[in-house]
Amino acid sequence: MTTALLRRLLPLPFVVLAAALLVFLLPRLAGIDTVRAVLRSRVAEAEPDPAVAARLTAELGLDRSWIEQFLRWLGRALTGDLGLSFATRTAVAPQLGAALEVSAVLAVLALLIAAVVGIPSGVWAARRPRGALDRVVTGLSVLGVAVPEFILAPVLVLVLAIAVPLLPATGWGTLPQAVLPVLTLAAFPTALAAQLTRAETLDALGLPHIPVARAKGLTERRVLWKHAARLALTGVTALSGLFFAGLIGGAVVVEVVFGIPGVGRLLYDAVLGQDLPMIQAGLLAIVVIAVLASAAAELAQLTMDPVALSRALR
Amino acid sequence: MPPARRRSRTTLTGTCLAAVLALATACGGATGAATGPVRPDGELRVALQFSPRSGYAMDTDDAFVLHQFGATETLVNSGSDGRPQPGLATSWAQVDPTTWRFDLRPGVTFQDGTALDPAAVVNALTWVSGVAAPPRAVKGIGLRAVADGPAAVRVTTTRPDPILPLRLSSVNTAILAPSAYRADAPPTVLGTGTGPMRLTAADGMQQAVLERNDAYWGTKGSLKTVTATFVPDPAARALALRAGDVDIAQGLPESSLLEFTEGGGYTNSAVAAPRTVTLMMNQAAEPFADVRVRQAVEKALDRTALAEQALAGAALPAAELFGPAVGWGSQDPPPAPDVEGAKALLAQAGHGPDDPVTVRLQTYPNRPELPTLATAVQGMLRDVGIDAQIQIGEYATQEPDLLDGRYDLFLLSRNYLTDVPDAGSTLVSDYSCAGSYNINRYCSPAFDALLAPLGTTADPATRQEVFRRASAMLTADVVGVPLVHSQENGVARNVSGYTVDPLAKDLVTPGLAVLGE
Repeated sequence: MTTALLRRLLPLPFVVLAAALLVFLLPRLAGIDTVRAVLRSRVAEAEPDPAVAARLTAELGLDRSWIEQFLRWLGRALTGDLGLSFATRTAVAPQLGAALEVSAVLAVLALLIAAVVGIPSGVWAARRPRGALDRVVTGLSVLGVAVPEFILAPVLVLVLAIAVPLLPATGWGTLPQAVLPVLTLAAFPTALAAQLTRAETLDALGLPHIPVARAKGLTERRVLWKHAARLALTGVTALSGLFFAGLIGGAVVVEVVFGIPGVGRLLYDAVLGQDLPMIQAGLLAIVVIAVLASAAAELAQLTMDPVALSRALR
Repeated sequence: MPPARRRSRTTLTGTCLAAVLALATACGGATGAATGPVRPDGELRVALQFSPRSGYAMDTDDAFVLHQFGATETLVNSGSDGRPQPGLATSWAQVDPTTWRFDLRPGVTFQDGTALDPAAVVNALTWVSGVAAPPRAVKGIGLRAVADGPAAVRVTTTRPDPILPLRLSSVNTAILAPSAYRADAPPTVLGTGTGPMRLTAADGMQQAVLERNDAYWGTKGSLKTVTATFVPDPAARALALRAGDVDIAQGLPESSLLEFTEGGGYTNSAVAAPRTVTLMMNQAAEPFADVRVRQAVEKALDRTALAEQALAGAALPAAELFGPAVGWGSQDPPPAPDVEGAKALLAQAGHGPDDPVTVRLQTYPNRPELPTLATAVQGMLRDVGIDAQIQIGEYATQEPDLLDGRYDLFLLSRNYLTDVPDAGSTLVSDYSCAGSYNINRYCSPAFDALLAPLGTTADPATRQEVFRRASAMLTADVVGVPLVHSQENGVARNVSGYTVDPLAKDLVTPGLAVLGE
């Protein structure tokens, strides 16, 4: 197990380093004039002024070579100092930390719904393929996968905040305010979890140990949940890491529509304001989260699935 | 005035939201006419279009947000006629060509309890004129302030500045308490202004909370608290208003405005903004060095169709650079397009099937109307035989080429008041021979001579006459083609006293009140 662990973890720092370099070079690769971008983010129609540009270039340390800038940026990032926002001229780290916290709450709640609703639905649907329940689950999951967030969000607002005014349409900080965004965000992973669990459970029900379990006299429920669903869960578990990272960084639509101060909204505003330190720090944080979550999910899968573990050790 | 980033962003999300919002009418929603008495100690909730991006730094566009909230005040206010009005200064006088004296209003205290005195004013003005990138209103004028007795300040400039009082109406020159100013950071704005509302909580891009300043020197309003939520998506703001989450929503999609009717208890306001989208033409190079080609472009464009069809009525067709937002602006409709006339002019200039005009039409995407207009303009130019290839990229990346004259056509959205209700700065920077932002590469000694009195004339009527004549001259010389003037809108429910300020400086005023028991 330790060997498998090391094999999984050792490449991670290099992946993060490569991502950090790419993130740092992004504005250069995109041809963005940082100083002009900063000036226009502070005062939108600021006319060009070479003296002001020179002062700002020195103030931001942009007159150094890019390698020096990268090493300084990376060195500070390793100590948790992500620099100052070009826009607010305050530290990036606390703003990013607060936003990540909000997004993590959203992502965890969405994944919780996906686990509690999606996985059992998939297992139940697999119990009687093409039965009524299977058709309902399959139909709803296709809908959940197909309907994008920018459609689902306003539809939920329309139904649950306007037509039947049960919940607020915008804001963050109270439980009612969390309901619509979490439901919107949970739709896709829930649907996908249901589809994946159904498919994996059906596969597992076809394996040779299932008739043996039935021959031993186990109830159908026990066969389904203990011997088939457990195997099916390994695939879903492996995907959960990717889901988590995707939900953290990919909730832009939900956070913008519902006015939630998460990392998606933070990056959305940073991109509009061309706040490069914030964009770079946000992207790097998402990459790190994605790498860690993916590794954690993979390790969880190894502990649950002996076959996968032995394959990893080979 | 609303700067470039103060804009509506019609995203894919927004479009879809708007479409779904249209269904909301059929599904009902909160209704009820805006009736009832003014609610004492009312609590107002507002959905704002633009979040503070620079931590409420006074030297940035965030100063507009603070002034809209009623948290900050300036020495001078500007009236709708473009004339300076008393603010924290009750009167002013020009002592000599480069010096003005401002008498401070007695009895004013900052929200932190300290008194407004000359030292505080000097401190604030010195800070804002000394930042690395000074705001447009005070940039490059060498502003210095010193105390002049116990209740006045003297403000000097390097050169004579006839509009200094107007410059001090810029929201960036608001006066904060001395305690606001820190060594290595922008001033703190929590409870340090003098306005009728006190900013008590500022949750970054999410929300701001204000409470009534009961020690305010002027008329106190009925609102006890104001909660401003920053909702960047226009259709999401409309949904929040419909759901009753907010009482006022600013900058709604044109498609949703018709649904907020008076019958539903909504007050719908729209005003022309001092912002013009102009098709810039590079006069320093062929083909637009030839006035006949520029005239052909002008005749090819149907500006009414651009405003009413391409932008679905979200803007007004422009006849000249200055529009109905200002007293000296043109109220006339633009000339009708003349396709045959355009073709004839191109033929006179030597262009035809054998030598077609092929140009690049550049613009930028962060004002969503620009790519839409570019596509429509491309079609209209094609009809007269001009092949325009559209190129869309970040503005900051394109600016060096624009300023160096390495472009053909450029669609630019430009606020012509640059923070103060006076167009002198824009005319000089954008159209004079030595202008720092002369994208058209226009240079006319006659035009420069026309602008010359602006350096010495303080009288608003005289200045505005210069603006009128300058605008007419730019039209005659076909210095770019002004296409449309932007509009600002907002919708309120169960609120009285709500108006949309075309300069984007005022929102929470003492007259604003929540209605109902």
